[in-house]
Amino acid sequence: MLEGLVSPENLSLSYADMSVPERLKWLQQHQQQEVLSLSSNDSPDLLQILQFHGSNNDELLQSTFSHFQMVGSGFGTNYNMGFGHSHEAMDGCISRTSSCQIHPPDTMGVMLKNSEENRAISLKNKRKSEVKTREEEKTEKKIKVEAETESNISNKEASSDTSKETSKGASQIQKLDYIHVRARRGEATDRHSLAERARREKISKKMKYLQDLVPGCNTVTGKAGVLDEIINYVQSLQRQVEFLSMKLAVINPELELGVEDLSVKQFQAAYFTNFPVVIASKPSVMVDVPLFPLDQQGSLNLSVSNPNQTSIDAPSESWETQSQSLFASVLR
Amino acid sequence: MERQIINKKKRVFSVEPNKIPPSEVFTRKYTSHLVPALKKLNMNKNSSQVNQLTVKHEVDMALALSAQEFAWSRFLLQKLSSSNNPTTATSSSSNGIRIQERSGKEGGGDEDGEIEEKLRELQKLLPGGEEMNVEEMLSEIGTYIKCLELQTIALKSMVQDTT
Repeated sequence: MLEGLVSPENLSLSYADMSVPERLKWLQQHQQQEVLSLSSNDSPDLLQILQFHGSNNDELLQSTFSHFQMVGSGFGTNYNMGFGHSHEAMDGCISRTSSCQIHPPDTMGVMLKNSEENRAISLKNKRKSEVKTREEEKTEKKIKVEAETESNISNKEASSDTSKETSKGASQIQKLDYIHVRARRGEATDRHSLAERARREKISKKMKYLQDLVPGCNTVTGKAGVLDEIINYVQSLQRQVEFLSMKLAVINPELELGVEDLSVKQFQAAYFTNFPVVIASKPSVMVDVPLFPLDQQGSLNLSVSNPNQTSIDAPSESWETQSQSLFASVLR
Repeated sequence: MERQIINKKKRVFSVEPNKIPPSEVFTRKYTSHLVPALKKLNMNKNSSQVNQLTVKHEVDMALALSAQEFAWSRFLLQKLSSSNNPTTATSSSSNGIRIQERSGKEGGGDEDGEIEEKLRELQKLLPGGEEMNVEEMLSEIGTYIKCLELQTIALKSMVQDTT
């Protein structure tokens, strides 16, 4: 059960980046945009994957984002634990979480709709409320502590005496995570089912994301169908890779790999626009390409990597003109 | 010389460091891993017959190396290195125990059982998927699919280039 409680924190880990007022502003700003942005995201690339990753645990984040440079958001500050780069992640996470809610999130606490718990709702919504009954206090405190602490302070058995101070301290030192969970009327609102509901929502969110990723999944409804499609797609991709590698093995001796990296640009063109890319004829000699003329191309952000040390006595001038014409044709 | 080339590569890229799409980063990394490996294979093999298995191995290795940010690449690397050393046994840990946990909570009917099965299958497809829990696996699958797609495009254009 601890797991179940810990995981919702990870969901809202991205909230850790901002203080509450900033966060509210951010949410209000982006609420209207999020619907549009969600629908208009048609070319998910790794950027979105990494946004998605923002909802996962610490280590993964720290290992993943060290490799990618993310576009800074309007905040531009680096918070502790190096999560400055997860602004995009937060953006994606916020837009996703807010899309799960019916009303605009006016509170930052755990939200319950159960009529019996209405008082608890209003109480929880305020961060440092004093008016509570003893029992509710304890449960609320515990939930809040777990909601507020990040994964390194995840001890469920934190003493209720110190939990209030720690929660306050935690909220000051570490940014707050909040779980946005809606309890429908009559549903159990105890911690276990809350956590489980949060977990299930997380999973369904990921399923939706996968649905967008895998082509042809939109028509299918229901988890089973989507999972089927995903399985088929992964299998077909793996088979394709195997087939291509077999082909590669066959033609390996004749491989002209000297100008291989030029086609990286073609990859993107092929990938995003589905246009057939015409590959210009290349010299079939492996040479050390002088990079200087390539840099002058300006818009090309490629360079040819040719670790092959054998340089062949091709006249460098003709090679330069050849490569420039090659790039010109590629750019077209 | 190689280092020069790599440095020049970096210099060219660093013009706009924040705006390189990760797909491009991956593709470049991938080709830069695979191409030299294939060349080495070419040169090392005296016989003209290039073993298909070794090419597959290189292909997978390049994939794992270019995607080290993700968990599945670690598992893939493990698998590859263990296949090189047949002495190390790959231990397959709990096969979907975490899924069974979940089905207990769901109070599963047939439908849920189906879904569990499918999730388990998916786990098998993903390298290392069996050692992750469901949520982790789902996000890893997303990145895995992406990298597979990029890989197929890279391989396709490599094959096209030479034919």
